[in-house]
Amino acid sequence: MLSKFIFLYCALVIVITGILAVRFRNPVHSVLAVLVLFFHMAGLYLLLNAEFLAAIQIIVYAGAILVLYLFVLFLVNIRQEIKTERFVANHNISKFISFLVFLILIAVTQSFRLGTPGKWTTDAIRQATHTKALGIEIFTSYILPFEIIALILLVAVVGGILLAKQDKQEVVMAQKEGSGSLTRGGKK
Amino acid sequence: MQILILLVQIAILVGVVLLHVAYATYFERKIIGHMQVRMGPMLVGWHGLLQPIADGIKSFFKEDIIPEQADKPLFLAAPIICLVSMMVSLAVLPFAKGWALADINIGLLFIFAMSSLASYGIILAGWASNSKYTLLGGMRSMAQVISYEISLGLSLVGVMMLSGSLNLTQIVEAQGSSFTGMYIFTQPVAFFVFFVAMLAETNRVPFDLPEAETELVSGYCTEYSGMRYAMFFMAEYIGMFVMASIGVVCFLGGWNGPFNVPFFPPIWFILKVYLIMFVFIWIRATLPRYRYDQLMTIGWKLLIPLALGNIFFTGLVKIVIN
Amino acid sequence: MIVKYKPKRNWLQTIFHTEILQGLALTLSKLFSPPITRQYPKEKPPIYPGFRGQHALVRDPQSGTAKCVACMRCAQICPSRCISIRYHQEEETSRRVMDSFNIEALRCVYCGYCVEVCPVNAITMTDIFEYASYDRESIYFDKEKLLSNWDDFMSSSTYDQSSYVNPFWRPRGLPESELTAAKRVPVPDDWRIENQFIGRKARSKKITGGE
Repeated sequence: MLSKFIFLYCALVIVITGILAVRFRNPVHSVLAVLVLFFHMAGLYLLLNAEFLAAIQIIVYAGAILVLYLFVLFLVNIRQEIKTERFVANHNISKFISFLVFLILIAVTQSFRLGTPGKWTTDAIRQATHTKALGIEIFTSYILPFEIIALILLVAVVGGILLAKQDKQEVVMAQKEGSGSLTRGGKK
Repeated sequence: MQILILLVQIAILVGVVLLHVAYATYFERKIIGHMQVRMGPMLVGWHGLLQPIADGIKSFFKEDIIPEQADKPLFLAAPIICLVSMMVSLAVLPFAKGWALADINIGLLFIFAMSSLASYGIILAGWASNSKYTLLGGMRSMAQVISYEISLGLSLVGVMMLSGSLNLTQIVEAQGSSFTGMYIFTQPVAFFVFFVAMLAETNRVPFDLPEAETELVSGYCTEYSGMRYAMFFMAEYIGMFVMASIGVVCFLGGWNGPFNVPFFPPIWFILKVYLIMFVFIWIRATLPRYRYDQLMTIGWKLLIPLALGNIFFTGLVKIVIN
Repeated sequence: MIVKYKPKRNWLQTIFHTEILQGLALTLSKLFSPPITRQYPKEKPPIYPGFRGQHALVRDPQSGTAKCVACMRCAQICPSRCISIRYHQEEETSRRVMDSFNIEALRCVYCGYCVEVCPVNAITMTDIFEYASYDRESIYFDKEKLLSNWDDFMSSSTYDQSSYVNPFWRPRGLPESELTAAKRVPVPDDWRIENQFIGRKARSKKITGGE
């Protein structure tokens, strides 16, 4: 009973903050709505006995990724909304389409049925603690996808460094041309 | 009934911690004063013992100024976010065996999550005040927290590997009650990384760039006054307390001491926490502030590689021993 | 000047942060050293001869009024023009009689020139320095106030009223023969300017124990 109530609360807040994140005029307020959303998602994970995922949700999404979004917003510094025309002239069409999608989603939920329980039942996870269960699964049966993800992240890191790094030749050429704009302020 | 007992426990914990915060400021002012061959507060009470209470009353009755151009709801919420998230992480600290409010399995991760949430308070304070100084302070704090949270987390991975748990009580029990069982001896590099990252996480000197008073007036809390300013202050000191407690739990053997104290088991825990707090203050009295690029260099080029190497080495030793 | 650079750190010193540890050791040792704070309102600072505090007009022990002869030298030399004097000349003796003597202490820069230049030692600067006030009127000294300042000073200090002559009342760099009679009054030996030690001289004197 209590867990159902908590689920309903979390689901409601997730839906509301999701809508608010789109509706808010101020991008910083939108990011904060998403922050609240992440918290309630962590609450849902807790309901599912997935406490490790809940903590990671907050640490990674709320603690790092959203902060980076905020960072970008601060650097861009959009205090006022940018007043632009609507992208689509007749947005009633888009409303209609999204309503259709909503109907389809409702129709699809009818065909939802539970799968057969695997090795990790709720009791088994509780026994071994969620962190351990997750670790065992990731590092045994799902080691290949895990490594592939690691590789993708490595590619992203290398790419980021490459983009951020200045081409030395370019700097030298720019200095020869007399415009020191590529060098960092006054530091030689 | 159980909920009632829990509420009473929470009230006691919050009261004790707030009193601790008040006297931590006194402790800090006295120690820094004597290290600078001064006396520190002397006038209110015997040797200024009532000074923190006078400060509290003063900040409570001060006018609460809200800048006209500020984002009002966020401006009002920021100090509360900061304080609440710091206070919530008190719940999982094991002060003694069985003296934790919530003995959860992911205690360590919970504290990380809450400390990263506390940085939101600082960031939002910086943004919502609508001032250049606060915005710069908030941005600095943001970049600093993101960078140092990585090394803070990685430095504790070694401890997690040795104890095989994220539960703070189990980490303490894994260290045993002997002196040499403390993880500071098996994980000295991790302790070093943890300590430096801890200073940066709590915005303490020499990493207090978010509130660098020589450049940014007072950083993110420039526009705050009265009780809200005091809230930031309390959050900072509770943050110090929490971080010092994690240091004690993970590296200094928690509540275990040379002998058991009968009626008040957390005494060793508190003494160790105060030892670490003293080192915080000692460092503040000694070191100048780092430059911003130095801060980033230390974080990314020194601490993270050190922590990663420590994890690798710990795993290697563990495999060899097994 | 010889610039002496610190020797370069070797790798061991870099790893163990020896410089930071040295700094920490210094602050820790200072933690246990006695503080040098003077708790001011409870503990007054020592005052040395030549201190330039509150102004006063010296009361002549014989006549009971000011010694001032209204020569106007102090008003002329005052760099901040804070002294104003009014006088009239007696018809028969053609002596100047001082009517009013005002010092606007808020404008005073406490240079002490008025004291040095006075030929009869009529104006002085006392050792009293705690006369801050919430209103301007009480720091605007007229003749009566200046005389009462002198009385306050004499009653609060142990100096002998008739023979109190501060060596710093005397203009510097003039031979004794060129001074007026009042300025040639002998002073106690340790009050002489030659025996006053200021700044670096005082420090070296204290170290060698020359007192």
